[in-house]
Amino acid sequence: MTHSASILVVDDEADTCRNLSDILTDVGYQVDTALDGFAALKLVRQKCYDIALLDLKMPGMDGLTLYRQLRKICSKTVALVVTAYANEATAEEALAAGAWQVLPKPVDLERLLCLVEEALNQPLVLIVDDDPDLCANLWDLLRERGYRVVIAHEEDEAAHHLQEHAFSIVLIDMKLPRGDGSQVFQRVRQSNPQAHTVVITGHRVELDPLVQRVLAEGADAVCYKPFDVPHLLSTLQRLTERSRPQS
Amino acid sequence: MNIEDIYRRYQELQVWVGWTEESARRVAATVELITPHLVALIDDFYDEIGRHPNARKVITGGQAQIERLKGTLRQWLRELLSGRYDRDYVARRWQVGWRHVEIGLEQVYTNAALSRLRIGLMRVLHENWSGDQRDLQETVRALNKLLDLDLAIIEDAYQYEYAARLQRSERLAAIGQVAGGVAHELRNPLNVIKTSVYFLLNAHNPSSEKRAEHLQRIERHVSLADGVITALSNFAKMPAPKRMPFAVEQCLREALETNPLPETVQLALDCPASLSPALADIDQVRIVFANLIRNACEAMPQGGQLSVTTRVVSGGMEIDVADTGTGIPPEYLSRVMEPLYSTKTRGLGLGLSIARAIVEKNGGSLRVVSKPGKGSTFTVFLQTEHPQETHRL
Repeated sequence: MTHSASILVVDDEADTCRNLSDILTDVGYQVDTALDGFAALKLVRQKCYDIALLDLKMPGMDGLTLYRQLRKICSKTVALVVTAYANEATAEEALAAGAWQVLPKPVDLERLLCLVEEALNQPLVLIVDDDPDLCANLWDLLRERGYRVVIAHEEDEAAHHLQEHAFSIVLIDMKLPRGDGSQVFQRVRQSNPQAHTVVITGHRVELDPLVQRVLAEGADAVCYKPFDVPHLLSTLQRLTERSRPQS
Repeated sequence: MNIEDIYRRYQELQVWVGWTEESARRVAATVELITPHLVALIDDFYDEIGRHPNARKVITGGQAQIERLKGTLRQWLRELLSGRYDRDYVARRWQVGWRHVEIGLEQVYTNAALSRLRIGLMRVLHENWSGDQRDLQETVRALNKLLDLDLAIIEDAYQYEYAARLQRSERLAAIGQVAGGVAHELRNPLNVIKTSVYFLLNAHNPSSEKRAEHLQRIERHVSLADGVITALSNFAKMPAPKRMPFAVEQCLREALETNPLPETVQLALDCPASLSPALADIDQVRIVFANLIRNACEAMPQGGQLSVTTRVVSGGMEIDVADTGTGIPPEYLSRVMEPLYSTKTRGLGLGLSIARAIVEKNGGSLRVVSKPGKGSTFTVFLQTEHPQETHRL
């Protein structure tokens, strides 16, 4: 399953792109390449890649700027940044921007292939919440714990992602722009029956009847805002462990 | 610096300050008078050091170190009053300045502390002198001269050692800069080679076309890596110019021929036929023009106008190579001609520094003005065979 995963390779050196494409295609991944950030973003708008392999120093748009843009379009993509400079500062900056790993050039391909495989095994989480700051915080928090995170701010976006991906866990805010979260919950049950669902809400009292109903219909857990972060993380861990034997 | 040179310098200084055998005898005669007061003078000296945080911080070994240093100062004072000011004496003074650089004690503190010591020595002399007052004055004068000489040698040693260390650290920084530039330029081809080799070794069922493609790629990138090394060593050993008169227009046209302009770049070449021949090495100047033309084109990725204009100036001619490109931000302008400095993502950053080195070796100069968003103009000055005036303004 993971072998049909998609990888985007971006490097201003055409031969590096061709080589990485040959190697990754040979082991069964779908690979697209781009010679600069602008071409890469064009591709990302058409397809949400599982993994992006980004050269750090490129003319026009550097790898870090590209990744920051890419993240806004497709938050799921795990970024591996490649650099010819053994420079601690740029490496740290890339990691702070949310890139997963920084690899020195010339690339150790055995290590690269292991990392690609590892990234693809990271559980995929969908967060459906209309608060962008909360989503950004959760992205950082969960990414650090080894989850891949997709964000949806409203129902249609959530429906789109549920169509495209197979999630391990879906976090659903019970109060969304166009109604309550129970519709999203129903959609998860239809399109992603394997996914665990966690209901999130800041309206403990008003929305309690709704929360109780969704729990009765099969939601796995509820987390109240403001989050008890350790509790949220342990809930997610418990749920991923439960789903692991199936995958 | 070797001890003979240092000692010769010391002797010169002795002559300058009017130091004589008589001075030495007078200083030596104060030993018995001063010795009982040495401990108090030394304590006072270290109290003075203790009052300056920057001086105190070099004493990292606490009280035990201060006791050792007091022993050294006692020895220094004994030598000062010994009456023997030979090579060994001077060498030990030199050592003091060297040592201060080593431990990071700035020279101002040596000056301040020695001034303190001088005042103390004079006070002891005045308070305990029982002889003739004129003798006292002569003795004070001799001791002052000796202290001045000591201080001069210590300061000389300090500056010499300080400069030597600075040079060493600058050399290390330059090596670091070279290593960084070379690392980037070599790692890109190495990366391609490494990945092609990996593909050839590990691919499951590569077609023969694919195999050939990867082998050719390896060969191409070995040449690229080799080119990086060639560029560096060419920079390091630029041959001495063979300066002969030549027509600048022809040289410009040759440079333009080997570096064809992109279709989006328009050329405006203004080179009057009446221009006198330039006096320089045509092969080297062609490299300069080629570098400037290439840079101009790279500064105009969306296209623009490349204007090459020549004119007669006092003492020779000037050639402007102007683009309508991105321009150089003022903060980079002073650095663009430094070797291994580049604002581009590719390249070693040698082009402009090579251009400047060539032009200067050929008796000319290279300067730049630039406006971000408007473009840059590089101006080459070359001497002509028959300059209009003998001196450049």
